[in-house]
Amino acid sequence: MSKSLVPETPTGPEEPAVRAPTDWKTAAMQKRIRRRYAREWRFRFFGFAAVVLSASFLAFLLVVMVANGWRGFTRTDVALPIDFAASGMVVERSQLATPAADLALAGAGLENAVKSAAATAFGPGGEDFISENAWLRVRDAIKRDPSLLDRKLRIDVPASTRIDQAVRGDGDAATRAAAARLQQAGVVSRHFNTDFLLESDSTDPVAVGIWGALKGSLLTMAVTFLIAFPVGVLSAIYLEEYAPRNRWTDLIEVSINNLAAVPSIIFGLLGLAVFLGSWSLFGYQMGPLLPRSAALVGGLTLALMIMPVIVIASRNAIKAVPPSIRDAALGIGASPIQVVFHHVLPLAMPGILTGTIIGMARALGETAPLLLIGMRAFIVTPPGGFTDPATVLPVQIFLWSDEVSRGFIEKTSAAIIVLLVFLLAMNGLAIYLRNKFETRW
Amino acid sequence: MNAFALMFLVAGLGLIGWLTARARAVRFDRGGAKRLHSLPGQHGMYVAMWTVLPALLFIALWSGVSPGLVREAVLQHPAAAQLPHFDFERDALLAEAKRVATTDGATAFDPVAAQLVAPTRAAKSYYGWLGTGVAILLAFAGGAFALTRIRAPFRARSQVERGMMIVLLIASLIAILTTLGIFLSLLWESLRFFSAVPITDFLFGTHWSPQVIDAAHPGKSLGAVPLFWGTFFIGAVIAMIVAIPFGLMSAIYLTQYAAPRVRRWMKPTLEMLAGVPTVVYGYFAALTVAPAVRDLAVSLGYTYASSESALAAGLVMGVMIIPFVSSMADDSIAAVPTAMRDGSLAMGATTSETISRVLIPAALPGVVAGVLLAVSRAIGETMIVVMAASGAANITLNPFESATTVTKQIVDLLTGESEFDSPKTLAAFALGLTLFVITLLLNIVALRVVKKYREAYE
Repeated sequence: MSKSLVPETPTGPEEPAVRAPTDWKTAAMQKRIRRRYAREWRFRFFGFAAVVLSASFLAFLLVVMVANGWRGFTRTDVALPIDFAASGMVVERSQLATPAADLALAGAGLENAVKSAAATAFGPGGEDFISENAWLRVRDAIKRDPSLLDRKLRIDVPASTRIDQAVRGDGDAATRAAAARLQQAGVVSRHFNTDFLLESDSTDPVAVGIWGALKGSLLTMAVTFLIAFPVGVLSAIYLEEYAPRNRWTDLIEVSINNLAAVPSIIFGLLGLAVFLGSWSLFGYQMGPLLPRSAALVGGLTLALMIMPVIVIASRNAIKAVPPSIRDAALGIGASPIQVVFHHVLPLAMPGILTGTIIGMARALGETAPLLLIGMRAFIVTPPGGFTDPATVLPVQIFLWSDEVSRGFIEKTSAAIIVLLVFLLAMNGLAIYLRNKFETRW
Repeated sequence: MNAFALMFLVAGLGLIGWLTARARAVRFDRGGAKRLHSLPGQHGMYVAMWTVLPALLFIALWSGVSPGLVREAVLQHPAAAQLPHFDFERDALLAEAKRVATTDGATAFDPVAAQLVAPTRAAKSYYGWLGTGVAILLAFAGGAFALTRIRAPFRARSQVERGMMIVLLIASLIAILTTLGIFLSLLWESLRFFSAVPITDFLFGTHWSPQVIDAAHPGKSLGAVPLFWGTFFIGAVIAMIVAIPFGLMSAIYLTQYAAPRVRRWMKPTLEMLAGVPTVVYGYFAALTVAPAVRDLAVSLGYTYASSESALAAGLVMGVMIIPFVSSMADDSIAAVPTAMRDGSLAMGATTSETISRVLIPAALPGVVAGVLLAVSRAIGETMIVVMAASGAANITLNPFESATTVTKQIVDLLTGESEFDSPKTLAAFALGLTLFVITLLLNIVALRVVKKYREAYE
């Protein structure tokens, strides 16, 4: 602020009132103007660069994730010739139609039969070319068609992680040579990996899937929504429409505004201490209120976290409904409750839903509080209910990112793509709702 | 019967009550002077409320109390005398008996627990059915009481509306309860921590290594100053060096220079940066940014550059904060009266001169408040530092060295395998309390600044 923008004109002490008009055409003035315009251009350029760079950070992030992740959706299969007649496996045919079929086939040594078939077909070390879970594919095929046991057959089984990587040009020279040999033999094929969407966590990167985590996320979101939405909307209605202006109302408002800014990890500590800590009530030692690692606890914790978001969005939506509507309803004899529930709330609903979806999207991407309440278990079977041990998609991403095996990098990125698609869909829905139903009064 | 099924049952009873009461109210309506005071639906609501609310209240209370009752009943059993006296083992055995009692096909490994399975099952079913019975009785009693009160002149509407106001009030009290819950639970666990570790050791000690805790002097290895420094260095220095210029300049460009069409597209695009989950940023930081930063450090001559440098975490965190700073700056620049801007332009100032000498100084309080809020968000950010920063607690000014943060340590302390009451886990709550208080103060100051500044222009 110190430098004046207007050039100083020399003023003598004897004639202070008269100022000679600035001659903008002089060389000095022209230079000055050029300098100012150059500064203007630079400033504008910096602004433009900031926007472009910020956007390219986003683009770079997405490109890295997609470049790493698209391979996670594909799978390498190896066509494995098996001759069950030669393998010497004895299986009771009558059991194959019963639920005991899995046990019967495992007990008959199917796993070893598949491994030795691989060794015969691909030479010594051939059992390392196929995934550890390859025999499960064979088992399912046999269960569908028991007559396979009498025949020679070629069946596509998942390749091991090493071969999977080598086919794409990664890995050490020996494995790459083996992969090249398999490719020349024409037994390698690549498919879309439906198992990635339908299976759960595993120790083997070719066998992992996200369904378990996704189902955990859905259950957690259901709990979060069922708690946060009614409580958030009801408290917004109370604060905006009925609450008297007094110290208590101020206290509620202050705590809602502060809760919206509390770091998410603090909610994890709250959940850990309140839902999972030991309580003593009237001298009874009760143990934890709720089971550890369950979607119920995660959902409750996240509900407390996003409730302020929903309250603030709902209050803004309710505030935007013009007073004339309330006056008109009151004028024809509606009670205050009827005014709100019959007139104001339906009109505010698009705004409320938009805020709710944005809050839910935030909850879906949240990791830290769920780590603290133990939703980081190794979950091989998808959770069956709200109280089963579960994990969620972001936590699954975190767990996979910790794995050292090379195959997990593309799986992690692929899971990130799935998560981003969900978030994008939710935000897109919110924008659509806002544009479609938003009313300007 | 489990609590969910019971709730559905009660809700069903409520629906029946609603239908019955509405039909009954319609019969009372004779028109004229004997007209119903309230609508039939409101009578229905009245009965439904009386049916559902007391029963639900009881179910909530009962699900809190009954585990304790079951436990007491099991401890009365003669076999319980063999239980070890030490609380932890005792709880583990009781939990095992409970697990076997509630899951089909499970078997107990411990003989004592196996003996306790039958009493646990008996006690659980006894108290379960007791609770169910009382809940249903309450539902019927409440519904019947309400039904008898239905008459034509009965003011069901005012009763229902009073009930709804109470529900609304309770809903809005949950926010206060949550705040209180956070504060009290953190304070409670922290007090337990400070009874074992002197508070001065924790706040002013400069050595942090929770892996090796000297049982006699736990405070010696639980000094949190390196964590506070790391948090400040990563969240308030490095991240802000990225976020403030980028956020401020993009807000200025989008509000003052960009064509409306560009603004309409670019603003949501930048806001997407804030919508990306932090676990994705963390992965990005660990996978891409951290190795690049290390290579940079090596090429600059640091031979022992860490691959978990403070710089990598801080940079990515800064990118995440950009839209936050940008939207706060946007708001406060928009709040400057147009007359000031127009006046400056009319005097012949260029747009950039107007912005940097008129708009920004006038919007400065708002911008500063925005930066404070951004700092509070950055220091509470967890996943980026958990995945990209190191666990080594150093006090360093070199961004290529490793630094750790409060949030990272909270996660590390609580996800390891250790019992709940050790100083190690309690330290996490003390760190949480510190974090909570600091972010709270930052927010209060920032909101106060914003409010004062808004008033100045309105």
